[in-house]
Amino acid sequence: MSHFLDRLAFFKRNVEGFSAGHGAVTNEPRGWEDAYRQRWAHDKVVRSTHGVNCTGSCSWKIYVKGGVVTWETQQTDYPRTRPGLPNHEPRGCARGASYSWYLYSANRMKYPMMRKRLLRLWRAARTEHADPVEAWASIQADETKRRAYQKVRGLGGFVRVSWEEAEELIAAANVHTARVHGPDRIIGFSPIPAMSMVSYAAGSRYLSLIGGVCMSFYDWYCDLPPSSPQTWGEQTDVPESADWYNAGFLMMWGSNVPQTRTPDAHFMTEARYRGTKTVVVTPDYSEASKFADLWLHPKQGTDAALAMAMGHVILSEWHAKGRGEYFLDYCRRYTDMPMLVLLEEKDGRLVPGRQLRAADLEDGLGESNNPDWKTVAIDEATGRLYVPTGSIGFRWGEQGKWNLEGRDSRTLEVTTPRLTLLGGEAAADVAFPYFGGRAPEFFNPTAHEEIVTRRVPARRVTLKDGSTRLVATVYDLFLANYGVERGFGDCPASYDEDAPYTPAWAEKVCGVRRGQIVATAREFAANAEKTNGKSMVILGAAVNHWYHGDMIYRGIINLLVMCGCIGQSGGGWSHYVGQEKLRPQTGWVPLAFATDWGRPPRQQNSTSFFYAHTGQYRYERLQVEELLSPTAPQALSGSLIDFNVRAERMGWLPSAPQLQANPLRIAEAAAASGEAPAAYVASRLAEGTLRMSCEDPEHPANWPRNLFIWRSNLLGSSGKGHEYFLRHLLGTTHGVQGKDLGEEGAVKPQEVTWREAPEGKLDLLVTLDFRMSTTCVYSDIVLPTATWYEKHDLNTSDMHPFIHPLSAAVDPAWEARTDWAIFKGIARRFSELCPGHLGVEQDVVLSPLMHDTAQELAQGVVRDWKRGECVPLPGKTMPAITVVERDYPRTYARFTALGPLMDRLGNGGKGIGWKTQHEVDFLASLNGAVEVPGVEGKRPRIESDIDAAEVILALAPETNGHVAVKAWEALSRNTGRDHTHLARGKEHEAIRFRDVQAQPRKIISSPTWSGLESEEVCYNAGYTNVHELIPWRTLSGRQQLYQDHPWMQAFGEQLCVYKPPVDLKAHLEMLGRVPNGEKELVLNFITPHQKWGIHSTYSDNLIMLTLNRGGPVVWISEVDARRAGIEDNDWVEAFNLNGALTARAVVSQRVPEGMILMYHAQEKIVNTPGSEVMRTRGGIHNSVTRAVLKPTHMIGGYAQLSYGFNYHGTIGTNRDEFVVVRKMAKVDWMDQPAGQGDAAVPAVAAE
Amino acid sequence: MRLSLRALAALLAYPTAELRAALPEVRAALAADPALAPALPGLEALAARLGADDLLDLQEEYVALFDRTRGLCLNLFEHVHGDSRERGPAMVELHGLYAAAGLEPASGELPDYLPMLLEYAAIEPARGAELLGNAAPVLDLLHGRLLARGSAYAAALHAALLVAGAVPGTVPLADAPDPTPEELDAAYEEAPVVFGPGADPAAECGGEALAARLRAARRTPNPKPAPRPVLRRVAAASRG
Repeated sequence: MSHFLDRLAFFKRNVEGFSAGHGAVTNEPRGWEDAYRQRWAHDKVVRSTHGVNCTGSCSWKIYVKGGVVTWETQQTDYPRTRPGLPNHEPRGCARGASYSWYLYSANRMKYPMMRKRLLRLWRAARTEHADPVEAWASIQADETKRRAYQKVRGLGGFVRVSWEEAEELIAAANVHTARVHGPDRIIGFSPIPAMSMVSYAAGSRYLSLIGGVCMSFYDWYCDLPPSSPQTWGEQTDVPESADWYNAGFLMMWGSNVPQTRTPDAHFMTEARYRGTKTVVVTPDYSEASKFADLWLHPKQGTDAALAMAMGHVILSEWHAKGRGEYFLDYCRRYTDMPMLVLLEEKDGRLVPGRQLRAADLEDGLGESNNPDWKTVAIDEATGRLYVPTGSIGFRWGEQGKWNLEGRDSRTLEVTTPRLTLLGGEAAADVAFPYFGGRAPEFFNPTAHEEIVTRRVPARRVTLKDGSTRLVATVYDLFLANYGVERGFGDCPASYDEDAPYTPAWAEKVCGVRRGQIVATAREFAANAEKTNGKSMVILGAAVNHWYHGDMIYRGIINLLVMCGCIGQSGGGWSHYVGQEKLRPQTGWVPLAFATDWGRPPRQQNSTSFFYAHTGQYRYERLQVEELLSPTAPQALSGSLIDFNVRAERMGWLPSAPQLQANPLRIAEAAAASGEAPAAYVASRLAEGTLRMSCEDPEHPANWPRNLFIWRSNLLGSSGKGHEYFLRHLLGTTHGVQGKDLGEEGAVKPQEVTWREAPEGKLDLLVTLDFRMSTTCVYSDIVLPTATWYEKHDLNTSDMHPFIHPLSAAVDPAWEARTDWAIFKGIARRFSELCPGHLGVEQDVVLSPLMHDTAQELAQGVVRDWKRGECVPLPGKTMPAITVVERDYPRTYARFTALGPLMDRLGNGGKGIGWKTQHEVDFLASLNGAVEVPGVEGKRPRIESDIDAAEVILALAPETNGHVAVKAWEALSRNTGRDHTHLARGKEHEAIRFRDVQAQPRKIISSPTWSGLESEEVCYNAGYTNVHELIPWRTLSGRQQLYQDHPWMQAFGEQLCVYKPPVDLKAHLEMLGRVPNGEKELVLNFITPHQKWGIHSTYSDNLIMLTLNRGGPVVWISEVDARRAGIEDNDWVEAFNLNGALTARAVVSQRVPEGMILMYHAQEKIVNTPGSEVMRTRGGIHNSVTRAVLKPTHMIGGYAQLSYGFNYHGTIGTNRDEFVVVRKMAKVDWMDQPAGQGDAAVPAVAAE
Repeated sequence: MRLSLRALAALLAYPTAELRAALPEVRAALAADPALAPALPGLEALAARLGADDLLDLQEEYVALFDRTRGLCLNLFEHVHGDSRERGPAMVELHGLYAAAGLEPASGELPDYLPMLLEYAAIEPARGAELLGNAAPVLDLLHGRLLARGSAYAAALHAALLVAGAVPGTVPLADAPDPTPEELDAAYEEAPVVFGPGADPAAECGGEALAARLRAARRTPNPKPAPRPVLRRVAAASRG
């Protein structure tokens, strides 16, 4: 048989084997695949990001199906980097990937909510009063009614209300408050605009239009490093994360990169593959420690000792030996090290005093413009004194010489300044303060003298008054301060000698072995020398949040500067705390602070505000005497709030509220007495018939009355001194354990009227959020906002150069609205309610002496007009005073249109300005134009959130090439150098909202920032200072390592010194005071950023809770746990005079002895039992903290030490705190309704 | 239209003046449905409270119960999918079911809002009852929790269970033992991913399944978490 018929001719069988039976084709239905197809099917993909303060700014794809967000994945279409540099992606982290789960979660805010007791009062009042403003007034006039709803804040009791009803009450409260108390009693707190800048601007625009106050955040969060404005005249400017890859030697110092910079961490690991050595400095075995080639673990809070000892080694082995020409050249050109300092006599000793100025010398060395503000150096070649160009005196009143070309201002010759006077005519014994002996026992006090005397090379100089004085260079003082031997034989002879600041000394203080200190210092410097500055330090909150964190930072900055690392790609100071870089800042400011309609806006530094208005100053136990330097030229006295009041009076810091009078009534009073408002205020203040509010913060006339909180969880996260907020500002159940100074009979402040502590200053607390946070729980009205997938907005970061959109993938769920729509609605209702109460009003606005304006030259000497040391002169010896016209009934019309001041006054920032008519006209055509009553012609419309975004993008140099060129031109006039080449190539580039939705766009280089956005180099701070010779915005125009302000001298901080943590005295009194039978421990309370949340966001998300322990936890060491009989997962309580918190214990080898570590911002709304100490529900991490101010952060009117919003000011430190810790005897969930059980219980626990 | 379910939906929604005015109508509709007879005394009591108490107090109670208490959320998928990735697709599916009946959600509520489900069941009695039947374990869970709180709203859940053809109280909520360490370990164990016929795409994400399994345990009043067997049934029912 041939089998012919068996073989198929026209078919083959589809089930047969192949590859010798190793493969088989099967014939089964493939229907199961549909399940996958359906699961991943979607209608559209929308680009958005997460508007959360993590610095991530990661691009995400949001999948939408049937009008529902189904999931998100990471976007992977970032523009590629250049050859030799890793790409940015993938960006994103587990927290962001869980965000869509918030949209439909039971935690979501669905409806506007109001406290029932308030609503009942409101409805009753509304039936009596047809006018809502009168209705609100009637409630506020009755203290019983007011307290009725204040007292139950935090105790539940919400009901849903309509948007109309909520808007009406809020608007009525605002009208009433502005009319009766003044608009500066209406306060708004919203942080970090970069994370959703249109949403921020929504509230701040409304507040600024009505004269309300926008509160700072960066300083309050204690993320602002004061050492940055002190040294560079810049709030914070840092390298993008891609530049980590270029580092040759990388230190991560108190920054937990893989955990808190998750999407950027890959650049760090990639740098390690390239061969970069990584040294990690953290007291605990953090996630970052795992990436270390060397892990150094100093005792927390003593990092400055480590930094000083490293500096001692580098200065000894390089500078003192004349080794490292790159280092020396860098220090001559870019630092104040060659500048001369007067040595002042104090108690028979010489102490470093003021930097010598041209004005001190005969004929002002030829300088007629601002000779008081021009520093002086010695010509290396001729030995004569000269005035180098670039100091701050050249910035104002003249043009063309504000640059770092290093010329003699008189001859315009390039001149080399003399760095050291060693081998010259004289030397002097100079006294330096030593603070290491003052440390609390835990922080290893040492037994050295309070004053260390070092011989310093010097020279005699004849001043214009004919006197002869000794001067020294900053450089020589700097080396002497470090105890570096210069041949005088008075410094430690070896690293093993225990004297400040040798490695042996540091080993005793911080616990790091001296050999490791020496080796790390040598490698750091050797790498910098070989690579021209590619040694980098990534540093963060762990070292920044200490009372003397600025000293830790200056210690590290000094290392970077002495090795020439600042302004060099791959090197530098990489401080990442807070998403501070709002890249299109100058385009955003007019929108956000309504400077298109009126200038200046009211802005307030939050730390000082909350210190005063939550009554935290009443409990102050830190004495100024503990802080003053033994070398202080004059004895300053008073309590910390006294220093703040003086600072406000002299115009150093802002005030809110400002005057103990309604600022809307002052102009007419002035007119009645025939005076200009500014002169009127000054004279009445001088004679005492008018007072500043800061002098009497408890007087009802000076209370903040309305508070808006949006994009923030002030009470569940950042509110240091949480229990004080509850007690004094909110007037509700609290857990404060301490007595105030009045109750204790202690010395009270001098400058502040002492009154009985008020409870419940706020008439109204309104919070906008998409989830029921701790802040919402304590609010009177909660408004539901759109999530990050339900609104249009913009988002930028310091970590990469791209600008990202937030996009409305779906409409807001339930009754939620965007922040823009919410504040627009309030503005509309406010305008409607004005007639009869508020019309066109003259608002007298006080503003501090501002950085980046000529006011930064206002006060070369400290004189307080209140003490008769000078006359009150607005804008000079006291705050500036401006009259701003408010057209209250047209607030809404102004909110929704770009105002005419842009045409008239132009735009600008950081000390330069430009005309912007072209962009205004462009916006009128892009957004459309509308008529605004009272204004000629039509104005560009700002109706929607996209309109608002376009305003930002069109006005900002970073997103509009034409504006960038104009901005560089403006700066070029100041420096006398042409910088426009930095933007010419992108002149015709314009980024619009739909562009950033299409793909992340890299921004354009602008003089707002000190780095470049180019295809050749990564963004690195200080780059244009070093490479374009643009001065830093400091006294000398250079990196200012010497701080000569009288208050700096008083506190001994002219140069960086080691200052141990301070004793806040809040724990010992609580030891054994409320026993529960368990053993009590005393531990230092440390609150790092967390792993399962971004601050409090995500921390209530079940996915993240499931990854950890599902509720509040603290970490303690095995040793401490054993001592107190605590086992892992036990419930423990931590408490001190400030309050208490409850949490489960994680007993871990990670944590060193003596430390209790609590990831910050774990809210009390999730699984938090009652406190045995407070008899209320356990608090948040800030229940055991209290803000403490540092006087040197209050300095103003003095070059770089001048106020700027979020730039400079007091900071809310919290790391120096100690707590008593013990196991809980009884875990009480307090899940009975309020009023039942044995304590008043906030109804905030999980069910 | 099965008016009694429309009435039940109204009772379970946020109390308003409009609802109070319509209470006689609501009570009549409920009384006229013999299937709801076992729950009627409770429903009467609930309606009486809604009619008698101060409206703001009632609203406050409603918000505290259903808006602020995650374990009593009336969005049923909260108890099935929680914050997991399955929730979006599940809502899309439910939305499709409504659309097939010619219905479009109009109140701003999500498709899994129990009063919306009840209204659907009023319009489409057969399919609605089946849908509620699938959700019976969740309804029972809510019923049990409301009973434990002594809330009058328990009656509404009782009635919903009757519509679903289920017997209330099959979930032994109060006296369940804590999960043993072995049970917890088992819950943490990820199932191997299987492709091909028989694969269950919904079960592939071990982490999410785990979250679903552990979720309710966290939400019940401490220190007595809900037993895992119940959760398993809830999850199983949701996939049915």
